[in-house]
Amino acid sequence: MDEEELVEYFRAQMRKDPDMASAVAAIRTLLEFLKRDKGETILGLRENLTWATDCLTGVDSSVAVSSGGELFLRFISLTSLEHQDLSRCKKVMEERGELFLEKISMSRTKVAKLCHTFIKDGAKILTHSYSRVVLRVLEKAAAEKKRFSVYVTESQPDSAGRQMAEALRKLNVPVTVVLDAAVGYVLEKVDLVIVGAEGVVESGGIINKIGTYQMAVCSKAHNKPFYVVAESFKFVRLYPLNQQDVPDKFKYKADTLKTVQNLSEEHPIIDYTPPSLITLLFTDLGVLTPSAVSDELIKLYL
Amino acid sequence: MDKELVEYFRAQMRKDPDMASAVAAIRTLLEFLKRDKGETILGLRENLTWATDCLTGVDSSVAVSSGGELFLRFISLTSLEHQDLSRCKKVMEERGELFLEKISMSRTKVAKLCHTFIKDGAKILTHSYSRVVLRVLEKAAAEKKRFSVYVTESQPDSAGRQMAEALRKLNVPVTVVLDAAVGYVLEKVDLVIVGAEGVVESGGIINKIGTYQMAVCSKAHNKPFYVVAESFKFVRLYPLNQQDVPDKFKYKADTLKTVQNLSEEHPIIDYTPPSLITLLFTDLGVLTPSAVSDELIKLYL
Repeated sequence: MDEEELVEYFRAQMRKDPDMASAVAAIRTLLEFLKRDKGETILGLRENLTWATDCLTGVDSSVAVSSGGELFLRFISLTSLEHQDLSRCKKVMEERGELFLEKISMSRTKVAKLCHTFIKDGAKILTHSYSRVVLRVLEKAAAEKKRFSVYVTESQPDSAGRQMAEALRKLNVPVTVVLDAAVGYVLEKVDLVIVGAEGVVESGGIINKIGTYQMAVCSKAHNKPFYVVAESFKFVRLYPLNQQDVPDKFKYKADTLKTVQNLSEEHPIIDYTPPSLITLLFTDLGVLTPSAVSDELIKLYL
Repeated sequence: MDKELVEYFRAQMRKDPDMASAVAAIRTLLEFLKRDKGETILGLRENLTWATDCLTGVDSSVAVSSGGELFLRFISLTSLEHQDLSRCKKVMEERGELFLEKISMSRTKVAKLCHTFIKDGAKILTHSYSRVVLRVLEKAAAEKKRFSVYVTESQPDSAGRQMAEALRKLNVPVTVVLDAAVGYVLEKVDLVIVGAEGVVESGGIINKIGTYQMAVCSKAHNKPFYVVAESFKFVRLYPLNQQDVPDKFKYKADTLKTVQNLSEEHPIIDYTPPSLITLLFTDLGVLTPSAVSDELIKLYL
């Protein structure tokens, strides 16, 4: 499978199910790549998979694609590969790959099940931009017959918040779109803040759409709980200490990275929120405090 | 009379786009005073108050309302014990001219006080389009200081881009950032300077939406948060939170007249409490937020 086929398969997966996380689509693509690979050695296979992950990061530069790919590779290799026959080894790896995919397809549901109990009846929730995990959580809470209303930020430059508002209106949830600049204004009215994450870093902090950091700072100032919902394949081996430390390859869209020379003129599309501002993280591994994240992260990557 | 008033006000704004809307309003009130054919001083005062209300119906910013009230108080703050009404009017007109002259100089005074706080090599963050901040930065640039500016785009009217254009004309390196990127960019800047649409009794300010969260983030990053405002923007309000600011200031005048359900509208201003402000630069001097109420009382006595 060469680069073009790889990218085409990935794009087809994304088109087929727009509700799927881009990392899940990437992992499906890697599994397909594994099946079609004609390598002769296990080392060669691993190198090819790493190369394939890099290709996919070139298409979709979100943190989750990169972390998801790495976790996939580790998971399938985390088994006895002491067979004489390469095809037997490959078969074992494929089976583990399918298992991994199955586990992560269930992760959003697990997160929603954990999180919806924190939404009390009559709550006013603030969220940022468009997040499918947050949407799933709110769907579950609405299904449990809770009454709540949502404020969602418009989230420039792509106005993704409007998409979120549309989806929430379909669930008959009262929703108000607010300007990114109005977060401080609206925070005195809300009870809690729930955001998704594009990546969860080793310190327990998160990388998410630009605007999340100032929402977290203002929530802390107003003493409102700041909850993060993320699947475990988003855990990534990074330890940024401030905004500058986040690698450029995640800060800008993949197209921008390829075409633009002077990145300082571009608007970054993500920012880093330190763990001190986060109350709790809801993941499919359980409800974690930011400090528990590094333990879980190490277990995943061992 | 209503239409003439509004027309004169609009003409003043068009003639000099660089003039604060409150100054245009005060010119209009002065003209109104000159043309007024009332018979009593009380009637005159009532007419002026009515005229101020008309103008707030055109431009709902806080400064127009406070500027009008301060104008009325200033011109009445004199002995009006003359027998002839026309003599009283003449005295009031003279005081009106004096007031207008004083406030036309206020931006220059503010710029003179503030530019020394901008050190060479400073990175400044500002919000939306403010003519006072622009004047301050012009003065600093004229003093041959090198600095660069980050300005927020400031939705929904993208006024920040206008600010960026004006700064580029001064050859100041400027970067437009998203409203959502304020927290991201704050670790890079040295200080934050914003204008104000109104300064309230507590020493807090009312300004374009987004100022409050910029102030909270500045506090979190320990960066100084400076406000530049002329003294006619001091207003007799004491909001305790965002809700307390009267609706008539929160939305544009057109929106207030046409829309029924205001909760669907985006408010265009927010309130920044005094605890987040480092210093206020006004034509009355450099004030801490707690000193503002003293100065405010002196103005309105």
